Amino acid sequence: MVKVRRFSMYVFLSVAAFISIFPFLWMIVSSTNASVDVTRGRLLPGMHFMDNLRNLLESVNILNAMKNSLIVSVSTTLLALLIASLAGYGFEIYRSKTKDIVFNILLLSMMIPFAAMMVPLYRLFGKITNLVPLIGIDTLAAVVLPTMTTAFLIFFFRQSTKMFPKELLEAGRIDGLSELGLFYRVFVPTMKTTYAAAAIITFMSSWNNYMWPLIILQTPQKQTIPLLISTLGSSYTPDYGLIMLAIVISTVPTAIVFFVMQKHFVAGMIGSIK
Amino acid sequence: MKKTVSLILASLMLMLTLSACSGNSGGTSGSGGSEGSKNTGTTNSGSSGGSQEVTVWAWDPNFNIAALKLAKERFEAKQQDITVNIIEYAQDDIIQKLNTGLNSGTTKGLPNIVLIEDYRAQNFLQAYPDAFRDMSDVIKSDDFAEYKIGPTSYDGKQFGVPFDSGATGLYIRTDYLEQAGYTVDDVTNIDWNQFIEVGKKIKEVTGKDMLTQDPNDLGLIRVMAQSAGSWYLKEDGKTPNIADNPVIKEALETYKAMFDANIVKMNSDWSQFLAAFNNGDVASVPTGNWITPSVKAEASQSGNWAVVPIPRLGGSSSSVNASSLGGSSWYVMNMDGQDAAASFLADTFGSDSELYSDLLEQIGAIGSLKAAASGSAYEKGDDYFGGQKIYADFAKWTEEVPKVNYGLHTYAIEDILVIEIQNYLNGKDVDSVMRDAQTQAESQLQ
Amino acid sequence: MKGSGSPMRLKAAAVGWSFVILAVLMIVVFYFYPMIQALMLSFQTGTGANLSFNGMDNYKRLFTDSMFRTAVKNTFIYLIVQVPMMVLLALFLSTLLNDRTLKWKGFFRTAIFLPCITSLVAYSVIFKYLFAGDGLVNSLLLNLHLVSEPIQWITHPFWAKITIIIAITWRWTGYNMIFYLSGMQNIDPAIYEAAKIDGASSGRQFFGITIPMLKPIILFTSITSTIGTLQLFDEVMNITRGGPGNATASISQYIYDLSFKYSSDFGYAATVSYSIVIMIVVLSIIQFKVAGDRNG
Repeated sequence: MVKVRRFSMYVFLSVAAFISIFPFLWMIVSSTNASVDVTRGRLLPGMHFMDNLRNLLESVNILNAMKNSLIVSVSTTLLALLIASLAGYGFEIYRSKTKDIVFNILLLSMMIPFAAMMVPLYRLFGKITNLVPLIGIDTLAAVVLPTMTTAFLIFFFRQSTKMFPKELLEAGRIDGLSELGLFYRVFVPTMKTTYAAAAIITFMSSWNNYMWPLIILQTPQKQTIPLLISTLGSSYTPDYGLIMLAIVISTVPTAIVFFVMQKHFVAGMIGSIK
Repeated sequence: MKKTVSLILASLMLMLTLSACSGNSGGTSGSGGSEGSKNTGTTNSGSSGGSQEVTVWAWDPNFNIAALKLAKERFEAKQQDITVNIIEYAQDDIIQKLNTGLNSGTTKGLPNIVLIEDYRAQNFLQAYPDAFRDMSDVIKSDDFAEYKIGPTSYDGKQFGVPFDSGATGLYIRTDYLEQAGYTVDDVTNIDWNQFIEVGKKIKEVTGKDMLTQDPNDLGLIRVMAQSAGSWYLKEDGKTPNIADNPVIKEALETYKAMFDANIVKMNSDWSQFLAAFNNGDVASVPTGNWITPSVKAEASQSGNWAVVPIPRLGGSSSSVNASSLGGSSWYVMNMDGQDAAASFLADTFGSDSELYSDLLEQIGAIGSLKAAASGSAYEKGDDYFGGQKIYADFAKWTEEVPKVNYGLHTYAIEDILVIEIQNYLNGKDVDSVMRDAQTQAESQLQ
Repeated sequence: MKGSGSPMRLKAAAVGWSFVILAVLMIVVFYFYPMIQALMLSFQTGTGANLSFNGMDNYKRLFTDSMFRTAVKNTFIYLIVQVPMMVLLALFLSTLLNDRTLKWKGFFRTAIFLPCITSLVAYSVIFKYLFAGDGLVNSLLLNLHLVSEPIQWITHPFWAKITIIIAITWRWTGYNMIFYLSGMQNIDPAIYEAAKIDGASSGRQFFGITIPMLKPIILFTSITSTIGTLQLFDEVMNITRGGPGNATASISQYIYDLSFKYSSDFGYAATVSYSIVIMIVVLSIIQFKVAGDRNG
């Protein structure tokens, strides 16, 4: 009985994994094929991998774009985790009526489509450029600034803090830890999984962010990966083999981040602390 | 914890230093001018005596970007003062960036020159009246194919420098024709009804569809309308012209007849569109001449293709065997560096016929400068098309394309039509289809 | 917080605010400032730079705009069908993947997460190929004799909606799974042990322990998925372009079209955006209330 259940569980997961991974495999196969074969939906690996790679490296500076994307995504992730976890923790642990109201107002900022804010935000950065060109239009800092604090992540940290065993804080207070010390020495280590999840999500959305970098960046030297891929597809005669290869390369960093971080998802971690 | 904090600090430092370095290099460009000096009208404004940089935005590396590179080469060889900086974006990306930039009222980060599709040109010219430079002083509208002037000018001023012709042709598989008992002559200068008849026969004999269509893209209707000198909008470019427009009616009926004849292979995106003819699934491709490289991408079909004039609408006496699809033109932004930008365009796409013959030979791009419509490059046969002089043919058809005003709302109306055409194909009668589309367009566009 | 004297209480309040102040400032500058400008824009009309105030006209226009109505209708169909399905599926998968004894956990988790990092360009090409009239999905269904003729996944109004729903579920289930996996660490395994001893089936454990314990996170994912669906853009834009006709068009796609595809009517686009804000606020309040969370 248990064996049957176990077996059906593996079957179910394998099917789910296959469905999830199939388009990805197809992409990898396509990166070894010529464009004409890709549009035909050829499912077998071909001989064009080296051609595609050579053409890709000749036509665009993908390494530079990877570098830009890494700078943006790593800084966004680190800053976002710091700011949002402090805030999420603050809103839940030091709860007050006023803070609840402020929190609910903050939530409003997730609700507007970005398209509606784009023009005013760009105008704002026009002004910032006059004052501090270092973080103005056409800088990587301008990509990071408006995306590093999201109500979304604050909300996530707050909801996770609701599940955090508050007894641990009392214990820490008795040990004489300061309020900031409680956060650093008790909350952060206990909530590793939450940080791991937040890091994955933030890194991924920052890596894939398209609209805002498109608007704010100008010079090709600052191009991030999604902008580069969009450019590759701009032709009336797109080279799909080359595009697929570029996409495969661009997906690797997020996949690595995920694979490393998911190891922190250990079942019943808090339970085992107590 | 210290590790994390130092990591964050390090990444911040890294970010700032990197943006600082690149910030400096951006400062020399005409567009990213860090001071934002407002000496409009003078060349070399602001910059410290050295060379001036002109930034250009365009899409498609195999066509527009390749053309720009050739133009840049020729231009920079002639003078030392101006360097041209080409930046490639997808067309949709250019539209977003341009709209956001122009709307926010800051010229920072805008290019000096931008490529705009003719269908959208009036929209930009009228929505941002002061944003573009009047080019009347450096180019002559008479030098270009007449149908390109309507979309590129506004209020009597010539804003755009017309670029590629967009002239259409019917690309057709000669081997399928032969199997069905036809010759190329049988499909030359025909009307769409004859096209459908040929298509039925080909389907019967070879099992192949005659053409492929994406139901979300009404390019074919646009081609039919322009071939008769008519459009979705009246001459003023604002009033919807659907309900009482016999040309649109015939175009819709023809479109439906193709589906009824069961000779259309559906596709839902560009890659499937390309695949349909690269795979040999369709016998013909009625579209703009910019498709040539994509057709030739499938080497195994070499010698099996011909290009004939696009079919005309049989019932509309004004319809000719020539039309246009998706051409575009260059525009200079009215800001710092505009004169340098204007002189680049005037010296290259505005007058240089040698450049155009290079464009033709190297990338197969056909311009709309009249003076450049002949020459040895045009007289070369293309073996892929059985030795046919396709460029000479396209140049000839370019001259015959009827003139229409694309106006402000081409794509808005097309989205309404797309919905109504679905209803039409499902059995709604044509007059109410056109009436409903008209009513919707009127209420939406006001 | 049991501050006895008022200076203590003041200090405690200051500590609390210092945790949140940076976040609040950043959001005010980079979200609320542009949002207020967008709100003002929503009372203006005109194309491009020629804008003028026209009072409530834009908001009145919403009620007579048939394109808007269709987009709202479609979006709500996606919302009602897709969000509950995805939340349950993600919960179920996370439960399986949270099992300590499961082999190849890392592989399964990464595989199921992969769809949401797959680039949109590839995603749209692949999906359209899979779901084409003569695509792989149809061949599979035909060979298994599940259908007698190919399903028009992309070009039939009903099936195109299904395709979009499949696409969203495919892309975002793994994403939601992350939040559940991270939340499950907070559930004490001893609770499950006790339940097992009491003879509770795994179904009972799932509904009796997992779901109630994860409530804050489930609330979080429901609200963010609702927001995501009401702002749905990528899938529709890349797979069906809203078609056939406008059978799959979404509100966000309409905003995009109004701003960039048609004649740059940024004023009306802002109005449509604020209509989304209002709908989300209402739905979120309902969700907070249903979840019994005191934030609402």
